[in-house]
Amino acid sequence: MIAHYLPYLKLLLKGVCVLSFIAVSAMFLIWLERKVSAKVQNRLGPMITGPHGSLQSIADTVKLLLKENIVPSGADRLTWWLAPFFVTVPPVTAFLCMPFGPTFIVRDLNVGILFICSITSICVLGIFMAGWGSNNKYSLLGGMRSAAQIISYEVPLLLSALVVIMEAGTLSMQGIVHAQEPCWFFLKPNLFVAFVIYLISATAEVNRVPFDIPEAESELVAGYHTEYSGMKFAMFFVAEYTNLFIISAVAASLFLGGWLGPIRPSAGWFLLKAYVVIAFLMWIRWTLPRVRMDQMMSFAWKVLTPVALLNVLVTGWLLVAKG
Amino acid sequence: MFKMITYVFSGLLSILKGLGITWNNMFRKAVTLQYPLQKPVMTERFRGLVDLIPEKCIACSQCVKICPTAALDLTSAVNPETKKKSPCTFVFNGELCCFCGLCQEVCPTSAIFLNNIYEAAYYKHEDMLKIDLLKVDKYAHLAPKKACPCSKTSETRK
Repeated sequence: MIAHYLPYLKLLLKGVCVLSFIAVSAMFLIWLERKVSAKVQNRLGPMITGPHGSLQSIADTVKLLLKENIVPSGADRLTWWLAPFFVTVPPVTAFLCMPFGPTFIVRDLNVGILFICSITSICVLGIFMAGWGSNNKYSLLGGMRSAAQIISYEVPLLLSALVVIMEAGTLSMQGIVHAQEPCWFFLKPNLFVAFVIYLISATAEVNRVPFDIPEAESELVAGYHTEYSGMKFAMFFVAEYTNLFIISAVAASLFLGGWLGPIRPSAGWFLLKAYVVIAFLMWIRWTLPRVRMDQMMSFAWKVLTPVALLNVLVTGWLLVAKG
Repeated sequence: MFKMITYVFSGLLSILKGLGITWNNMFRKAVTLQYPLQKPVMTERFRGLVDLIPEKCIACSQCVKICPTAALDLTSAVNPETKKKSPCTFVFNGELCCFCGLCQEVCPTSAIFLNNIYEAAYYKHEDMLKIDLLKVDKYAHLAPKKACPCSKTSETRK
């Protein structure tokens, strides 16, 4: 009887592991972001709560849990209530085929990378729902901008992932990592170009500076999550930082060799690489100003997409030449 | 096409330059002071609250006359033995003071001066209206822990 339920129990435990990892990682990343921004601007950042403010995120979480949940008048109730879940669930689902180690993976799907790319693009639906449901012009504008931006940058993102898929000859995340055993992909020139394109479009994908047009504070208050408060706001926040972790983790497994490393704890290598990419993205965020809407769109369609297409073509030629 | 490529490359260069600047900033010391825990040391010429060295005061009333907001109130008496004037009461109204420092400039014996206390908040309104300048410990509850408010030549400035 117990043996019958054991696989389900195992799955449940894995799910709990993933969820707790997401929560802790998001809290840590929020603290890290605040510290990095403080460092860049010659400030101290959070210092009071715990040593060097390390418990600040926990204090913030407690505060957000206790906060009143305010529903704006005239809000589209159903969309408004569902939006945070639509934003939070896809990044959580994407952990399904995240290769933390050679055996440390929930389920190694044979369409892993395709699954991650497609499931995370559901987020845009949630963002648009939040924008529409809030009955607020700033939220709506933020949602519209976000939809336009994410759909535009999906194209170069997938084209750069396509180069990796061509090189590795598989869609499975573990297969891609194994294909990098002789040489990490970003060391090859054509894949380095793909790596740069991937990083740029992934930054746009998660609405981070310099592509934070959907939540531009100076124009749109906070964009699509202006009207949200309490735990719903926290869900948007967690989703944002989980997405950040996912794009970095995918970058690490597609281009930086995933869990491959000279010594044993492979999950450590995977996390190290992912956090290096995250730190780089944070450094970018606190350096660059926001681009304009038209600049962002023309950059996606006139620069990134042609370069990515050309990259696919060149990679194809190289693969044919190699035989 | 060529123009576009050069445009993108110059943009990329400027991004790298900006990244270099923020990288250097990351290793600089933070300029933030954790205010209630760490207090800034004010310079020697900082104009804080009006302070007095009673022994030096000759009760000439010049400070009272020059004060643009009439924040000072002085009564004096002549000592019959030494034939010298000395202050009997010297009340400073902290609410009226505009921290112009004219009293300090006009004082012939450098008895009155502006100290380096900047946290001029009181629990009661009346406390601020009538500050007895002749009392030695008048600012003891406001004074910064390290710097002495009564020493005009502050040694903290380097």
